[in-house]
Amino acid sequence: MNARALTSDILLGVIPIALAIAVWQGISSFGYAPVTLLPPPGMVFSRLVQQLFTSSFQHEIASTLFRLFAGFSIAVILGVGIGLAAAASPAVNAVVRPIVRVLAPLPKVALYPALLLLLGFGHESKITLVAADALFPILLSTYYGASMVEQKLIWSAMAAGTPRRQILFKVVLPAAVPSILTGCRIGLVISCIVVFLAEMISSTDGLGHMLVKAARTFQAVDMFVPLITISLLGLILNGLLQGLRSYLLRGFPEV
Amino acid sequence: MMARALSRLAPLLAVLGLLAIWQAGSLMLNTESFPTAIQAVRAVPSILGDQESLIHILDSLRRMAIAFAAALLFAIPLGLMMGRSRLVASFFNPLLMITYPVPKAALMPIIMLWLGVGDLAKMLVIFLGVSLPVIYHSFQGARAVEEKMLWSGAAMGLSAPQRMVRIVLPAALPEILTGCRTGLVLALITMVTSEMIARQSGAGNILFNALDMGQYDTVYAMIIIIGAMGIGLDAAFERLRSRLVRWSEPGFDIPLSFA
Amino acid sequence: MKVLPSDPAPARGPASAMIEIDHVSQTFRTSGRQAHLALSDISLTIEDGAFVSILGPSGCGKSTLLYIVGGFVSPTEGEARVKGRAITGPGPDRGPVFQEFALFPWKTVLGNVMYGPRQQGVKSAEAEAQSRRLIEMVGLKGFENFYPKELSGGMKQRVALARTLAYHPAVLLMDEPFGALDAHTRTRLQNDLLNIWERDRKTVLFVTHSVDEAVFLSDKVVVMTRAPGRIKQIVDIELPRPRRRAELLLDPRYQKYVVEIERMIDDTSEDGLQP
Ligand SMILES: Nc1ncnc2c1ncn2[C@@H]1O[C@H](COP(=O)(O)OP(=O)(O)OP(=O)(O)O)[C@@H](O)[C@H]1O
Ligand SMILES: [Mg+2]
Repeated sequence: MNARALTSDILLGVIPIALAIAVWQGISSFGYAPVTLLPPPGMVFSRLVQQLFTSSFQHEIASTLFRLFAGFSIAVILGVGIGLAAAASPAVNAVVRPIVRVLAPLPKVALYPALLLLLGFGHESKITLVAADALFPILLSTYYGASMVEQKLIWSAMAAGTPRRQILFKVVLPAAVPSILTGCRIGLVISCIVVFLAEMISSTDGLGHMLVKAARTFQAVDMFVPLITISLLGLILNGLLQGLRSYLLRGFPEV
Repeated sequence: MMARALSRLAPLLAVLGLLAIWQAGSLMLNTESFPTAIQAVRAVPSILGDQESLIHILDSLRRMAIAFAAALLFAIPLGLMMGRSRLVASFFNPLLMITYPVPKAALMPIIMLWLGVGDLAKMLVIFLGVSLPVIYHSFQGARAVEEKMLWSGAAMGLSAPQRMVRIVLPAALPEILTGCRTGLVLALITMVTSEMIARQSGAGNILFNALDMGQYDTVYAMIIIIGAMGIGLDAAFERLRSRLVRWSEPGFDIPLSFA
Repeated sequence: MKVLPSDPAPARGPASAMIEIDHVSQTFRTSGRQAHLALSDISLTIEDGAFVSILGPSGCGKSTLLYIVGGFVSPTEGEARVKGRAITGPGPDRGPVFQEFALFPWKTVLGNVMYGPRQQGVKSAEAEAQSRRLIEMVGLKGFENFYPKELSGGMKQRVALARTLAYHPAVLLMDEPFGALDAHTRTRLQNDLLNIWERDRKTVLFVTHSVDEAVFLSDKVVVMTRAPGRIKQIVDIELPRPRRRAELLLDPRYQKYVVEIERMIDDTSEDGLQP
């Protein structure tokens, strides 16, 4: 794709977003909805910018980000580890496969009350929930990528003298990286969503808690601010992951 | 075949194994807030036997089914069109990108502000939650359809809409169904979560009321019920899926579920 | 038929055999749980420094035979030996070159070629110097830092060859290495391979579908029957070396070999009508 087409694509993509904001503005400025229900976009964004410089808001973002990263990192470590092990060893596979089959479609939020009871209302329960939710897509795509590695890559490495137990790290893991990163991207979006929800259901800080607090007092403007913030955070994190991806996958053919 | 039967039974064994770990764990911890698996399972019939709870749970499921169906009707055509036209794709992609990380259930308080706490608000949230993954998978499926297949279709005199229905739809079906499977579990999750947040009625509400009142057996029994719904719906959908697309290679045989 | 009295390696068995394939049979279990006989009772001895090609109809088990010598697949019956020792797994004394190149996509050209020497414990600087020389030898100087996806098919196959040569295998196992290339690139790579072989005198086991290629390159051509694969005939190619393509094409002896082998393969195809 050349640069010109790319620019026109981006322009095209901006249209619906601009349109949505225009409709939003229109509804509130023609008085179809009272400000208490739908504050105009200008008000919401200026509130967002103003909040960004307050330390209390920065604190909320920081605690959300901390839980998000902690949970996501645990999910990546466990997911990649278990996924590789399941692809490499038939014994591990026989155990992991049925367990994953049962746990993957289980709505993890339903476990949240149990996590609250067991781990308390602090960081731990939320981090565990994020990790539990982000784990499966990462595990599954690692497993998928690792079991799809071209047999002849493995043979080439073995013929060059790579011992069997090093094959996993020298060939299977790097060859599965594209698939692992796809899983991580899904896992990251999930982490954003889940951390926010967990904070809404029970928390004393974080973006999700901000929304609940605003909802209790019917502050519509303050309800929009955390939602837009999590959307922007997701966008930024996704962009960072995309950058990492294009660096790590510079050798791989495009998909 | 012995091995065949064993692999059939494996998920069941996994469930039993997990329950056994739970049992052992709770016996070891021995706190009031972590009842044993047996106690929790025993509490299940009393919840399902209770008229009011049962009606609430069935109501939740009805809303979920309607919203899920509506989301499919909206998301599949949109996803397919995005997959076949770069114009449509680049039009909608950024919008989807910014809505992806927003938890749909978190819109509940705002939507409640507008629409009240009726069925409509609850169904709208589920609709939004289901639509995104279904759009995404239909998009990927349609995009992967081989150009040559469409050319041969055009050569046989199929018009563009006909090609969409007769070629793109069936070719993308495996991927679409994967999206639907994710969407189904997601519908359940969004339903439970929005009920947890709105605290009006439904399964999520029963769960948190029990938590507030310290009825720990009920909490864990509800977790079992919701978990069983997730696993059951998924298994049922998987049967349907494997019938519909018997021709396609088995890909992921486990859905990706999240909130 | 032995044209080249290679270095006086300790003789094992008759005339210093490099590879001995001894009554090898291979049965695969297909998904329908049936036994499928892919190779039936193959015996073949390949002498040190010989260039041997295998020809035969598709599905007759050529690749399988090569994988058995490579140690990637173990035969259901019989035994394969290299330098008199039974083959139990892959090893750096036998280097494969696959039709699909099988380059590591996450490594550059240099990284791919260096992989073998590094794995053998050669110091990084030393391995790099060797690899650069090899890359130059296969005509890819200047492409050291390219990724495989940035190369053409012919260039990828050169890298694959260099990657295998880099760990100095005594035997090259080549499975239709030039099958995916255009005729022109193919000819050039054949010439390059012959030059390298004439310099190093490696033992080469070469699977191909092209009779021309087999006759042009080989000392011996093994013709196999339709599945289950057996050895139908072994033809000694007694053409002088070094071989020049332009001269050879006009040589009536060369033409005779080609016609004779093509006729053999035609017969084989008819055999296949009664499975
Ligand atoms: N892993 C396997 N499982 C089952 N059958 C196999 C397997 N590998 C090969 N076969 C069968 O063994 C036979 C020989 O296969 P092989 O790949 O060695 O043939 P080939 O001579 O190399 O064919 P081609 O010229 O097409 O490459 C085929 O009938 C094939 O179906
Ligand atoms: Mg072959």
